[in-house]
Formats: sequence, C-alpha cells, structure tokens
Amino acid sequence: MPVRSNYVENTSPMFRILSPSQCEEILLAAQEVLERTGVTVYDEEARDILKKAGCWVDGILVRIPSAVVNKALRSVPKRVTLCNSRTGSRDVRLEGYNAYFGTGSDTPFTIDPYTGKRQRSTKESVSNACKVIDALENLDFVMSLGIVQDVPLLISDRHQFEAQVLNTSKPIVTTAHDIYGFADIIEMCEIIAGGVEELRRNPFMTLYAEPISPLQHAWEAASKLILAARKGLPVVYTPCVMAGGTVPATMAGVLTQGLAESLSGLVINQSTREGSPFIMGGVFTIMDMSSTIFSYGSPEFNLLMSSLADMAHYLKLPMFGTAGCSDSNLVDEQAGIEAAMSIAMTALSGPNLNHDVGYIEYGSTSSLEFLTINNDVIGMARRLVRGIEVNDETLALDLIHKIGPGGHFLCEDHTMKHFKTETYYPSLIDRQRYESWMENGSKTLFQRANEKVKDIIENYEPDPLPKDVQQKIRAIVERSEQSIAK
Amino acid sequence: MSNYYEELSQSIISGQLDRVKSLTQQAIGAGDNPVDIINQGLIPGMSVVGARFKSGQMYVPEVLMSARAMDAGMQLVKPLILTEDIPSAGKVVIGTVKGDLHDIGKNLVSMMLESAGYTVINVGVDAGPEKFLQAVKEHQPGVIGMSALLTTTMLAMKDTIELLKEEGLRDKVKVIIGGAPISQDFADEIGADGFAPDAGSAADLCKKLLA
Ligand code: B12
Repeated sequence: MPVRSNYVENTSPMFRILSPSQCEEILLAAQEVLERTGVTVYDEEARDILKKAGCWVDGILVRIPSAVVNKALRSVPKRVTLCNSRTGSRDVRLEGYNAYFGTGSDTPFTIDPYTGKRQRSTKESVSNACKVIDALENLDFVMSLGIVQDVPLLISDRHQFEAQVLNTSKPIVTTAHDIYGFADIIEMCEIIAGGVEELRRNPFMTLYAEPISPLQHAWEAASKLILAARKGLPVVYTPCVMAGGTVPATMAGVLTQGLAESLSGLVINQSTREGSPFIMGGVFTIMDMSSTIFSYGSPEFNLLMSSLADMAHYLKLPMFGTAGCSDSNLVDEQAGIEAAMSIAMTALSGPNLNHDVGYIEYGSTSSLEFLTINNDVIGMARRLVRGIEVNDETLALDLIHKIGPGGHFLCEDHTMKHFKTETYYPSLIDRQRYESWMENGSKTLFQRANEKVKDIIENYEPDPLPKDVQQKIRAIVERSEQSIAK
Repeated sequence: MSNYYEELSQSIISGQLDRVKSLTQQAIGAGDNPVDIINQGLIPGMSVVGARFKSGQMYVPEVLMSARAMDAGMQLVKPLILTEDIPSAGKVVIGTVKGDLHDIGKNLVSMMLESAGYTVINVGVDAGPEKFLQAVKEHQPGVIGMSALLTTTMLAMKDTIELLKEEGLRDKVKVIIGGAPISQDFADEIGADGFAPDAGSAADLCKKLLA
C-alpha cells in the first residue's frame, strides 16, 4: 500500500447549485421577510402560541423576529427516521444527503392499467397503486397516488389511509382533510404500532400540510402543525409556489419567499413543542405563462429543487423533495425526459424524502406504468450517485498487466467478483439485441411496464396486517362514516 | 376618424400604460367621440392581445400589462360618457367554492375575463352557495363562475346551482365551472352551463354563453 498524504476522496459525485454564502444570504433574506412583511395566520391558537414565542402579532398578521426563527432552527431535530409498519425496521433515515423516493398523493385522476383510460381514482385504484409501490425495490415510501372518490367524500381520507396501510408496509406520508381526519388516522397508526409511545418512537407515517402562498397559514395548515407537535409525530410542511404567480419570477425570490413560508411553519411547530420532528418541504416551480399550469417538469423546477436541497443541508433540516413527475398528458417521451432529469438531479442533490414519482399531467393524473419505469430510472440514478471507488483493488493494475495487450477480461475472478456490484441491471430498460427484441414481441418500454404492473396487481401479496388490527382499523373507518350520517 | 387609433391599439398590445394614457388624452383633446376611442382604439388592441395569447405568441403577464394599459385608457374616457354607453362584454361573478382555498387559478380567470372586457365581481375563496346567491342578487351578472381544485369541494358547486333554482334565479344566470378535478362530464352532471379548462378558454366560454 503506497503512502497517500493529503489524499482527498470523492465517494460520490459532488453537485450543488448554491454556495454556502448564497445559502446564508437567502436565509437572511427570508428572515427579513418574516420580520418585515410577516405572514397571516388564520388559526387563533397558533397566533397565541406565536405571541408567547416572542412574535409580533397584529390581528391575523404575525411578524417573526429573526431570533425566534433561529431558536426554532436550533430546537428542531436534524434527522427523522421512518419505519416499516409491519416490522418496525428503521428503513428511511431522513438526514444528510440520503435521498429516498416515493409517490405523490391526491391526484383526481389515474390511468387504468387495464383500459388505458384516464378515470377518477377510487379506493381500488389506490389499493392497487400501493401494492405496486410495495413491490418496487427502488420506491421507499408511499403517498396514495390518487384521491379516493367512490366513498363518502367528507371522510374519504380515512378510507384512503386504510387502502394504503393494508397494501404496503413501507412508510406512508399521509394527507387528511383536516385535523379530525388526522386524529382518526393517527389512532389507526397507534393501533398498528401497538401504542401511542410506540408510534412516536418508531413512526411509520408522517403528516402532511401546506401553507398558502403568498405567506399565509390557513386554519387547516396551522392546526395540523400544532397537532403534529403535540403528538410528537413528524410533519411535512410544503409550500407549493409558482414563480411569477404566487412568488416573484426570479429564482432567488422564489427561494426566499418559499423559505420564509417554511420557516414560519417551523416556528409554529417548534413553539408548540420544542424538538418536534419537522420535515421542510417545497414544491418550488414556475407557472407556465402560456398554459398557466403549475409545472412539474420544467428545468427551473429542477433547479429550484436542487437549490432548496442545498438550503436544507445548510440549515441541517430534513427535506421533502419532488421528482419523477411530468407535465405531459400521457406517458410518452416527454414524461421520460422530465422524470429522468428530475430523478437524476434529485439523487445528486440529496433532498431526503422525494415524492410525486408517477405523476403525469402536471400533478392531476397518476400512472402506474410511469411509476414502474421510474423505478428503473431511480436505480440508474442511484448507480450514478454511488460514484467511483478508487483503490488498489479497483485500479486493477495486476489484472491489466496479466491480460496485457490483446486478450479479454471475461473469465477473470476479478470480473466475476465486481461486475454485478459495479454495474446496475435495470429490469424494464431494454438492452436486447434487435432479433431477440423482435422475438419477444417487439414491445415498447410502456408495454413492458404495463405487463409488470398487471403482474404485480394480480400476483403480488403485500405483508398483511394481523386480522384483529385490520378489524380495528375498519371500525375507525366505519365510525367516521356514522359520524357524518348523523 | 382619428389617426390616434392605430397607435393606441399598438400601445395596448405592447402594454405601454403611459403611452396609452397620453394618446387617449390627446384623442379626447382633439374632440374625438369617446365611444369611438373605446371601440376603435382600445378594444381592437385588446382583441389582438386575446388572439395572440390563444395562439401562444403572448404570455399571461404581457396580457395583463395590456389589460392594465387598456383600463388606464378607459378610466380617462369613462367620465365623458353615460354609463349605459360604456361597452361591457357583461358581468361575471366569480369565486372559489366553500372549503377550498386555491385561488390563483380563479384570480387568473377573473383577470383574463376583465381583459376581455367583462366586469368581474370576485367573491374570493371559501365562498358558500349563499355568498354566490347574494352576489347574484346584488349584481345581476350574466354569468357566475365557480372554481374548485378539490374533489371534496367540487360538490359545493351543485349546492349553489340548487340554491339558485330554489330562489328562482337559475334561468337568469349562466353557471360556468373549472379547476383541476372538473370535467365536462361533471359540468353536465350537476347541470352547469359550461366548463373551461383554462383562463383563456373561460373568456371564450362566456362569450358563447352570453351571445
Ligand atoms: C398550487 C397548489 C396548491 C396551493 C394553492 C395556493 C393558492 N394560492 O392557490 C396550496 C399549497 C395552498 C394547495 C393546498 C392544497 N391542495 Co393543492 N394544489 C396545487 C397545485 C400544485 C397547482 C394548482 C394551481 O394553482 N395551478 C395553477 C393555476 C393557474 O391553475 P388552476 O388552478 O388549474 O386554474 C386554471 C384552470 O383550472 C381554470 N379554472 C380554475 N378555476 C376556474 C373557474 C372557472 C369558472 C373556469 C371557467 C375555469 C377555471 O382556469 C385557471 C387558469 O388557467 C395542484 C395540482 C394541479 N394539477 O392542479 C394541487 C392540487 C389541486 N391540490 C390538491 C390538494 C389535495 C391540496 C390540499 C388538500 C393538500 C392538503 N392535504 O393539505 C390543500 C387544500 C387546501 C384547501 N382547503 O383548499 C390536489 C387536489 C386533489 C383533489 N382532487 O382533491 C392537487 C390536484 C394536487 C395533487 N395531485 O394531490 N394546493
């Protein structure tokens, strides 16, 4: 072994958009927004909490001195761990540059894998989606991939959670209509975890809420932040902002205002109970000024996602990101391009809990084929991020010398030992020779994905929950149905 | 016929507020008929803007700048004519339905309608059927537009339509709806008069319904 003094090693690619000075400048700018402009808070209890924490409350307008933000940044945990709901295994560690991928939640529509038609999502479509996510090796967590619409809508969130938790053991990021919905869902989770304390110690779910840009915290959102803190459960708080629409058109302006919204949410959460687990979100993108969509595939969307990840690392906050989604109205070349770009950039930047894999039509429709294709893209991106290991074994000087000019490496122990770990083998991406591809039905990527989806739906069995637990969950869903019947 | 009109139209298309103001002022000073200034200078400019937006040659902020310039011109001319002579494409009451706080789409529709010459009464977000009813009674619009982005709130649209029926006002006003989960099927199902997928087509829809 040679001596290697001053040796610097990259064990992964280095990728960042913002320098530490730029991060600091944006943080200070966001703090100035909170001190000068402030945010409106439509929940009285939240305003009381903020006032006690040292904020300046004037009617519904709350201005937040920088010291209060700094205090919240100090008390918030730098890491959150999410578990498998069946085994309690602590699989998803939201910290540092760990990037995990999962789906998105409440699309009104989904593409039926059997008819190819865009239809309203149902309890069955959500159940199927969760099965598929559970089966795909590169998906780490679950959001419902559809809003359940074939049950009474006022309590559809309970049905939606039931459909998810029965069909996957991966951690769940759950939406709910309001805190009453959340209370029921948390109760279900406590039953599954085996108690209030058990859930808190090994959470397999996180709540989800959003501020309203520009700079508003609605009653629903603020009360969810408070509930999460009281329960000691993690909460994702994610501004969904559109450059030129609800935030300035400039990227730095987007980051500043979006961050101000997140940080004010953080203050509500931490002032309720210091040390509560909090995951900073942010779907920061542009409004397309021609079609007026909220874009899920533009280059600016990727740029903002990666720079927000730099910001999150700078602040040492776990972050909720977005990737693997598309503006395209179907699963076509455009969808593939947009998803590949966002997944690669996300994997390189390292935000932690990355959702919306499988969204098409700018977040209005989900596709299980797209999800399944992206499972491979995530695998490819993970290979990129693993980078290149440089040492005596991998430089392979002895081997190169042994084979010498001419010859080949196919029958070497060294090849046998390394080829499978050095190379990623995707499952749907096609590398067949032309003739075999023809013989195998000359299928497109989409067709192969469709077959895989149907195979999973028909043959895959997720780990079941114990029968008695299933019954208790059912009882909560039914109780909510009765409560609205009255 | 004044020679200001062509330039006035051009200035509206390029969204030059100050230029529109000064040209309008000059036309008024030259003794032009105020109604002509509107119909031959201001509106033709805005019509070009509408067409260019639809064909993708102009973007939303540009359209809104043009609309702002046009409005500045209108403000100068309006005091000179009788209210009933002021051309208005019609009145529209618009809002986001009860329980729903998504508002940027609704605001865009409202601004695009205004730039197409409609008078818009924006009742805000979280607007229940009573709020729409009250606005209909107060403003007597030709159209009411409801926005919903949530499947849980889109049913509230039906409640508004029912309430209008109960009050005997349903035939007096056209109902249009929009938002992410809304489709033409849903519009038919709840008995709305129309659905539009975006702000540009919302203006066309109003035009069609009020024709
Ligand atoms: C931005 C956004 C938000 C922002 C809204 C900020 C704001 N100031 O409005 C925030 C973060 C606050 C938000 C909150 C929530 N959201 Co949201 N949101 C979106 C998102 C990403 C974009 C919507 C948008 O603004 N688009 C840009 C604007 C310009 O377009 P638009 O609204 O579609 O409007 C255009 C047309 O639809 C049409 N139109 C609109 N209204 C009308 C009316 C008439 C009369 C006509 C003719 C036309 C028309 O013209 C407009 C202009 O071209 C959508 C995704 C999507 N695909 O739509 C989800 C989405 C709508 N939200 C969703 C959800 C679930 C929520 C929450 C419930 C999440 C939660 N659990 O906390 C909350 C609800 C809060 C509440 N009570 O309302 C779901 C809806 C699912 C469903 N069907 O129920 C979606 C589809 C995302 C998803 N896939 O999960 N959201």
